[in-house]
Amino acid sequence: MQVERIKFERTGGFAGMRIAKDLKLEDLPDEQANSIMELLDDLDFEELPEQMMNKESMPDEFTYTITVETKKGEHTVVTGDTSAPEKMQELLQLLNRLARTQKRQ
Amino acid sequence: MHKHFSVNCFLPPHILINIATKGTDSQKLLAISTLKTSEQMRGQRQALAEFTAAAFRVAAVGGKERVVYDAKNGSGLPGTIVRKEGDPPSADVAVNEAFEGSGITYDLFNDVYQRNSIDANGMRLDSTVHYREGYDNAFWDGEQMVYGDGDENLPVSERLFNRFTIALDIIGHELTHGVTQFEAKLMYSQQPGALNESMSDVFGSLVKQYKLQQTATEADWIIGQGLLTENVNGVGIRSMKAPGTAYDDPVLGKDPQPAHMRDYVNTIADNGGVHINSGIPNYAFYVTAVELGGYAWEKAGQIWYVALKDKLTANSKFQDCANLTYQAAGELFGAGSIEQQAVQKGWMEVGLTVSGGGPTPPPDGGGCLEALLRLIGAAPAAKR
Repeated sequence: MQVERIKFERTGGFAGMRIAKDLKLEDLPDEQANSIMELLDDLDFEELPEQMMNKESMPDEFTYTITVETKKGEHTVVTGDTSAPEKMQELLQLLNRLARTQKRQ
Repeated sequence: MHKHFSVNCFLPPHILINIATKGTDSQKLLAISTLKTSEQMRGQRQALAEFTAAAFRVAAVGGKERVVYDAKNGSGLPGTIVRKEGDPPSADVAVNEAFEGSGITYDLFNDVYQRNSIDANGMRLDSTVHYREGYDNAFWDGEQMVYGDGDENLPVSERLFNRFTIALDIIGHELTHGVTQFEAKLMYSQQPGALNESMSDVFGSLVKQYKLQQTATEADWIIGQGLLTENVNGVGIRSMKAPGTAYDDPVLGKDPQPAHMRDYVNTIADNGGVHINSGIPNYAFYVTAVELGGYAWEKAGQIWYVALKDKLTANSKFQDCANLTYQAAGELFGAGSIEQQAVQKGWMEVGLTVSGGGPTPPPDGGGCLEALLRLIGAAPAAKR
């Protein structure tokens, strides 16, 4: 999978603040870009269902929307703290770290 | 700590349920964690919570039963046990805050509202601290409280959030989500979701006021005081006293909470703005409490608790909550009582007119005793 861009959005949470980040892989340090690619490959991201939330959000958990753009098109996955599979936690943590110091809306 | 063992390949759910019901505590934990990851139980957190509560129900004599786990910055729940009932304090401040905070929350519900724990049946209070790295949040996962350390992995000058156990009302807030899950079961979306949030802020703040023995006018009514670092221009996450004024900061933005129906925020984010529009019922509670004076947990808290326990349902909206708290006040303190009038005023201030609370209260007030006297003909009928 040749990833070009990742759009990450986090909403909800105890504070109810939204953060978002639009990442162009080519702008990231190689090491970071590589680990994102690896994590996406490990997850088989393109094959994941779009809706990965439980029927209802648990109180105060974050909702994450991840859109991965490749040459072929884009794929979006929506998930949350209590519904994301263990395998996805590292990716969430990484994207979260990259987005966290952004201005909230 | 038992979550990494897996026996789900071999045991069918009915056997696991048996173990979870009859086994030793560690067998129970193992069986429950296995059930949790099984396909059959996916998404059935309510059922699991009730089941877990049943498995760990403290015997009739039981009181407060708390366990704090450490996730050690990982995402596995619940993590390793670091402090349980009867243990001496830990060297870890987050562990002690989670332990003490859930204890004070238990005390408020037990001593003031005669409620034995989250499920009203002695359910053990489980908390996990140090969840993930740089996790600026706390949540209720359907069975337990989970707390992050905020921005602990950023340089001090960039940190916005401290650890989430730092504010007692956050602990009360999360635990109240558990109470709501067992009582009104308010859907976590749109107005019912904002009511769910508001109930958590109301009782979260009452836990803090109870601990500090503050009256309604003495209390700060801030949710999450101390959570924001000194890099942020703000006093907390929400203000029940003045919704929309808790923070105003170049990075965090401005507190978006409304205090009136005319400013209700329509959005799809945050499950329909559950953490935004909760400002409206929060303010209605604040006005009611200040109107009544004294300790807010005594009268206003009692009225809201009865509404949460006996009146509100999964789809209740703000208008329903206005009507039902008004009704509850009438039942507890008498139709037309000052308490019922205070509730009416609280909702009026946010733009909601109560209705359906029984007969129109007499304009000169009149509490339980007067109503009773009227009923038996010992007092003159109220003027209409």
